[in-house]
Amino acid sequence: MDRGIIALGAALAIAIAAGAAAIGIGLASGKAFEASARQPEISGKIQALLLTAIVFIEATAIYALVVSLLLIFAY
Amino acid sequence: MLMRLAVLSFWPRFWSALKDDMLEEIRIGDIGLEIEHAIAPRILFRWPLGPFEFVISDAVVVSWIMLAVIFVLAWLMGRKREMIPATGRQLISENLVDILLKLCKNAGMTYEQAETVVPFVGTIGIFITLTNLSSLFKIPPPAKNPAFPIILALLTVAYVIAISIHFVGLRGFWSSLIYPKAMLLPFKLLDFVIKPISLSLRLFGNVFGAYILMEFVYIIIPALIPGVIGLWFDLADGILQGVIFTYLSVTYIGEIVEGAHEAAHAHQERLQAQTAGKKA
Repeated sequence: MDRGIIALGAALAIAIAAGAAAIGIGLASGKAFEASARQPEISGKIQALLLTAIVFIEATAIYALVVSLLLIFAY
Repeated sequence: MLMRLAVLSFWPRFWSALKDDMLEEIRIGDIGLEIEHAIAPRILFRWPLGPFEFVISDAVVVSWIMLAVIFVLAWLMGRKREMIPATGRQLISENLVDILLKLCKNAGMTYEQAETVVPFVGTIGIFITLTNLSSLFKIPPPAKNPAFPIILALLTVAYVIAISIHFVGLRGFWSSLIYPKAMLLPFKLLDFVIKPISLSLRLFGNVFGAYILMEFVYIIIPALIPGVIGLWFDLADGILQGVIFTYLSVTYIGEIVEGAHEAAHAHQERLQAQTAGKKA
C-alpha cells in the first residue's frame, strides 16, 4: 500500500485515542479534586484511587500508540 | 470509485512533493530511515544452536550493566549499618523500604506478608526504573525491545499467583476467584491473561514511544532542546513507569489476599446464620 495512507492511518489512530484518553483523565482528575476539596481529610486515599484510574485510562492510549507504531514499522 | 482514485493518485504526489520541497531543502535526509536505523536492535553476538540462534543484543548488555549498578548501590547503602542512622545513604535505603512496606499495607496485606513481598517487588521496581533511566545517557533502554517487558510481566504475574497461594492457601485462592458469585470465574481467569499483556504493553509502549520521540528530536534539533524535553521523556516518564509497575503488582497481590479474606468472612457469617436458624 501507499506509505502516505499508512502514515495517515497511524496518525488518526493515535490522535483519536489520545484525545479520548485526555478527556477521560480530565474528567477523572476534576472529580477527584472536587472530592478532595470537599473532604480534605481523605485526600491521600483519593490520590491513590486517582492514580489507579489514570493508569487504566492511559493504558488505552498506550494500546493505540502500539497499534500505530505497528502500522508504521511492521506494515 | 472516483474518490478512491483521487485519493490514491493524490498521496504519492503529495508525498514526493513534500520530500522534494521540504526534506531535501533543509537537507535533513530521510528521517524515517534514520529513525528506523536508530530503533533497530543492535546484535552484538550470535551463536547458532541448531534450529535456534543464541543472540546477545544491546538490551541484554544494558540490563547487565544496570544489574552491576544496582549491586554496587545496594552494597554501598547496606554497608556499616547502625541502630540510629547517622548517614544519608542508610536513611535513603530505609525510607525506600518504608515506602514499599506502606504501599503493601495500604493494598490490604499484613506486616509479615508485606515483608515477604517487598524484596521481589522492590527489586523489579528499581530494576525497571534504572534501566529506563539509561536513556538519559543516550544508551538505548532495554524496555524498547518487546521481549524485556513481556518477560518481566510474565514473571511478575507468576509471582503474584504463587505468593497469593502461599499467603491464603489453595482453598483461599479458589474462594477469591469465585467470591461474590461463581459466575465471575471465567472473567477472573481471563484477568490473569490480560494482566501480563497490559503490564508489558504499558511499559513497552511508553518507553518505545519516548525513545522514538527523543531520537526524532535529536535528529532535527541536536542542541539544547533534547535536554529540556528529555527531562520528561527520559527522567520523569522512566521513573513513573517503574513506580506504576511496582504499584500495580502490589495491588494485584492485595486484591487476591483481600478477596480471600472477604470470602472467608462471608462464609463464616453464612454458617453462623445457619446454626442460628437451626436453634430457632
